[in-house]
Amino acid sequence: MAKATTSIRRQLILMVATVLIFINVLALWSAHVYANRTAKESYDRLLYGSALQMAENINILDARVYIDLPVSAFETLALSTSDRAFYSIMNGQYQVLTGYKDLPNIPFTQLLQQSSEKEKFIPIYYEAMYRDEMVRFVALGKRLLEGDSVNDVFIIVGQTLDARRAAATEISQMALQFVTLFFFITLLLLLFVIWRVLQPLQTIKQAITERSSQELSPLDANVPSEIAPLLKSINYFMAQLDSTLNRLKRFTAEAAHQIRTPLAGLNSQAQNAIDETDEMLRQKQLQHILESSNLLTNTVNQLLSRATLTHRYQSHPFSPVSLDYVIKETCRDLVVWALEREVEIEYVGDIKATINGDEFALKQMLQNIIENAIKYSPKGGVVEVELMIVFEQSVPLIVLQIRDQGVGVSDQDKEHIFEYFYRSPDNFASGSGIGLSIAKDVAEHHDARFHLKDNQPTGLIVEVIFPQRKGLSYES
Amino acid sequence: MKVSYLLGLGLILVSRMVFADAVRQDSYIAFPSLNKQPNHQEDVLAIYGAVNHQAIEPLFRAYQEKYPNVAIHYTESNTRHLYEQFISLPNVRPDVMLSPAMDLQFKLANDGYALAYNSPELVNVPKGAHWRNELFGFTYEPIVTAINSDILAGDVLPQSREQLLNLIRNKNYLLDDKMGLFNIEQSGLGYLTWAYDGQQSRSYGRLLEAFGRHQARLYTDTSSMLNALLKGQIFIAYNLVGAYSYQWSQKYAWIKTIMPTDYTTIIMRTAFIPRDAQQPTLAKRFIDLLLSPEGQHVLANQSGITPISTKVKGPYSRDELSKLPHGIFRPIPLGLELLIQTDDAKKQLIYHEWDNAMFAEPNNLSQ
Repeated sequence: MAKATTSIRRQLILMVATVLIFINVLALWSAHVYANRTAKESYDRLLYGSALQMAENINILDARVYIDLPVSAFETLALSTSDRAFYSIMNGQYQVLTGYKDLPNIPFTQLLQQSSEKEKFIPIYYEAMYRDEMVRFVALGKRLLEGDSVNDVFIIVGQTLDARRAAATEISQMALQFVTLFFFITLLLLLFVIWRVLQPLQTIKQAITERSSQELSPLDANVPSEIAPLLKSINYFMAQLDSTLNRLKRFTAEAAHQIRTPLAGLNSQAQNAIDETDEMLRQKQLQHILESSNLLTNTVNQLLSRATLTHRYQSHPFSPVSLDYVIKETCRDLVVWALEREVEIEYVGDIKATINGDEFALKQMLQNIIENAIKYSPKGGVVEVELMIVFEQSVPLIVLQIRDQGVGVSDQDKEHIFEYFYRSPDNFASGSGIGLSIAKDVAEHHDARFHLKDNQPTGLIVEVIFPQRKGLSYES
Repeated sequence: MKVSYLLGLGLILVSRMVFADAVRQDSYIAFPSLNKQPNHQEDVLAIYGAVNHQAIEPLFRAYQEKYPNVAIHYTESNTRHLYEQFISLPNVRPDVMLSPAMDLQFKLANDGYALAYNSPELVNVPKGAHWRNELFGFTYEPIVTAINSDILAGDVLPQSREQLLNLIRNKNYLLDDKMGLFNIEQSGLGYLTWAYDGQQSRSYGRLLEAFGRHQARLYTDTSSMLNALLKGQIFIAYNLVGAYSYQWSQKYAWIKTIMPTDYTTIIMRTAFIPRDAQQPTLAKRFIDLLLSPEGQHVLANQSGITPISTKVKGPYSRDELSKLPHGIFRPIPLGLELLIQTDDAKKQLIYHEWDNAMFAEPNNLSQ
């Protein structure tokens, strides 16, 4: 039995989960980055807005700086309800005009540089520890013009980070909630899809399990096109199994019948012999018994040889076999037996051919065909055995012909001659009806074709055509 | 027995002194612990406040009933003085600071002097009544105008600032030197309410002009102003704390208290625990009591101060307050908006305007 491999379902789920987790972690991380940036930008704008409102209310009159800070500047800061705020307004000589006097890390260098460049002031953002808390500051310059004199003041506004942190956390948490929800919904959907996709396999399994061991009709399941080939293979295999099984059933029934009939004959002949008082007749009857028993032995031998062959098919790998040598040897083995029946065997053909095959089986096949030919040859007849090369559409094929000069086989019988235990109705020669079937089995095992032709003027030609394939070689 | 008698006597003496003295600075009152066992462990909770000790005493009693081993040492002072002392004397800081000067209290909290305390009682008070778990508002008090009805002489009692201005115009010289208001340069609460008026209404400028023309008298606290009103030294007192004024109106029928119908400023008294409090645990318990339904109930029933909670019932509850004639209630927000009130430049502008109006020669003003 094949080793149990990892389940497709588990692999799919694992892969899907991995990909999902990766995507979600990525989404969360970007949400976190985005949340921080958004919170920072929004609250920086508030800070800047507040500084701008303060700047707008700083004016100069008679070389005196007037600062009348608007409530709205502080109301803007108060939008972050739980943050401390600090501010300071200074002149270019670092003197604090109003507000906190000890703000840290004021970027004077940059402010003075902006101031000296006489261009528009741009806000400078920075963070610093102040009164035990991290504070985000914005520093902004404002140019005060009066007559020809130019005075710059600097506005510094700072706020602690609670509100931005809270905002960032809120956005992140919303993202987390969304991503979690998304994750589970996607996972559920994918699990459903996986279940749905693998369902046909389950259906097939179910259909097969539910069948009785005898039922081999094709499975009728509605499956997607990807699974259809599998179902087709299963059905093909089952059809094969079915036909094999049927053949086996028929064979067993036939074999039993074939053995029972001679046994019954033997039985009655033996009974007759016991009852017979005439010694001469009894001798004759005993002779019959012996012949029947021989025939039976022959039949059983053939059956055994078939069983042996079936076993060999499964256990013996093919090896190179010299076909011409095997044929000659078989002819030699049979020549004496043929002469007893006053039939000659003639080997014609002078090619050498090697194929990949089972020598024992091939020999069995040859023996059966030639025996058959001898059996149906008239006295003084000749059985010709020939190995030759025939070109079929310019492909060279090795062809073996066994020609006899017997009565031949009618076209109707040609269809059945290879069936097990088939005996032509007008055949009076003794035989088991297995020999040719075995021969055909062997030929099929070697992918060879059988072909029956009529001989002239009378007789049968059995043609075995070996396929053109690797391991086959010949020389004329 | 003897000791408590003496202490009681001391209390009376102190309170007399407080009322007698119009321009007082500090008064110190000790509330000994209720535990009369000799040699018991006694803790002292030091509270500095700009809250009339008579008004806050019921709350101290409620606290001591819960914690009998705690003595309370209460130092009562003017709002600005309290603030300046807190900054200038870092070694003498209380366990709890109580003051109606929201801006000064807020500045201290914003500058990091307050201890954060997530009181479980915060659920009892509205959301805007505390800031950062550091500053806790516990009252809801209208800023009112008190008038001695003798001045009316048949005229109707003014209900709004506009009507008040009309009255001043009609009575003209009768009111010279006969109006009282907070000295905004010395009273934190006075500055807060005056500056807030400046943000709210156009009548502010005309009021200032009227007060200046009639040489209004300046006071540093509500009680002394009410005393002057009672004695007939002044007929109109502007921007008083409602709680005290209503109490006097109940006692003396000719003193009328008005919540101006154009808008009524609402202030919160706030409390915080300084970071360097000696007894933070006792202080936290005090804050808990202050915000709890029990403490709020004491305020609404015994102190005569309207508590912040909308849920408690009593003669001085918010329910009862809103039944009196009043304008739109404008509570001063407890937040960063208060920083503007502490801004030096702004203060100089307001002081300048004020000084011009109050201390200039009448000739100059008329021009």
